[in-house]
Amino acid sequence: MKTFHFVFILSLLCFAGCATDYDVAEVAPEEHLDQEHHHSDVETCEDCEDDHGGSSEEPHHEGDSSPSGHNHGSGVRNHGTQWFFNQPWAAPFIWSKLLRDGLIFLLLAVLLFLITGRKKH
Amino acid sequence: MKAVFTFSLMTLRMLFRRRTLWGIMLVILLGLAGIASVPTFDVSNQGRFILDFGLFGIEVGALLLALGLAANLYPRDRETRTIMPLLAVPLSRWQYLLGRFFGAALVQAAALVVSCLGLMLILLFNGLPIPGDLLPATLLILVEGWFLLSSVFFFSFFTSPPLNWPLTTMLFIVSQMSVSEFVLLMPSAPGAMRTIRLVLPHADVFHIKDPIAHGFHIEPVYFLIAVFYGLCYSAFMLSLALAVFRGRDLK
Repeated sequence: MKTFHFVFILSLLCFAGCATDYDVAEVAPEEHLDQEHHHSDVETCEDCEDDHGGSSEEPHHEGDSSPSGHNHGSGVRNHGTQWFFNQPWAAPFIWSKLLRDGLIFLLLAVLLFLITGRKKH
Repeated sequence: MKAVFTFSLMTLRMLFRRRTLWGIMLVILLGLAGIASVPTFDVSNQGRFILDFGLFGIEVGALLLALGLAANLYPRDRETRTIMPLLAVPLSRWQYLLGRFFGAALVQAAALVVSCLGLMLILLFNGLPIPGDLLPATLLILVEGWFLLSSVFFFSFFTSPPLNWPLTTMLFIVSQMSVSEFVLLMPSAPGAMRTIRLVLPHADVFHIKDPIAHGFHIEPVYFLIAVFYGLCYSAFMLSLALAVFRGRDLK
């Protein structure tokens, strides 16, 4: 019976973590990753129809604080900001997994409480 | 549950009498004041800096509070033999654990609310707006603090307080990491690292300081899910702690 409990709890734990499908960067759908405004250095920026290739070029968007040296307007993700949007608050596609994990941890807590309480203590 | 309530109030009064709480509070508030006094050198977005680092300071404060409040509770009860009469008649082991936990959790909540008010005052003092999501962000840090508190209780049943501090701090650090970051700690064994990461919590769920500092809107449903996740994981850690505690021979 003890083995059954151990295997049951272990399998629930593994299911609960499910970390392999949790990492936002690993499981994000294409549309989530593609929202960053990106273009190669030699391409033309669609927003301003300017060439990014020139080394002596002045910042052609507002400000120059982003990793690429320029900022895009409101509503367009700047270059190199994917890490910012790979956090749980910005990834609704993993919220259901959080809910599921929470439920399983709660179930595990109740099971552990009941199983260990059956001893003489 | 009346016994748990009474015992948690006793714990609360006992913790307020200890100097540890006031020392940690002083450290948190001095840290916040230090963040606010960093010169701006005319750099724009100073509010973003104060908010980001202020919330980080409160989060570290939650860790210090969890350790300072709870790491010594059970070891001291056992050393002074206070636990013997408690468990002999009025309380069962789960009631003892819950009473101690709820008492410490209430004290931690009060301390974090004071820290949040301190951060608000600092923002006001610097003429900066207070974001509407600051209180929910503090609530998420509080839930993270309760998770850390339950971890401290878990470790305290089989380690000494000096070992409890580094263990909980390590758990705090690694639980912030994503799976890919955690695997990078030992890239030669990705399978083993992924397996270990399975049972660790995802503390990055509680972090919304970045979007708040940059003015992003957070969906209310996310708060609810994150709070639910944190409370469930805390309950799981407490049940693990109880499992260890029930197996201990106190003689």
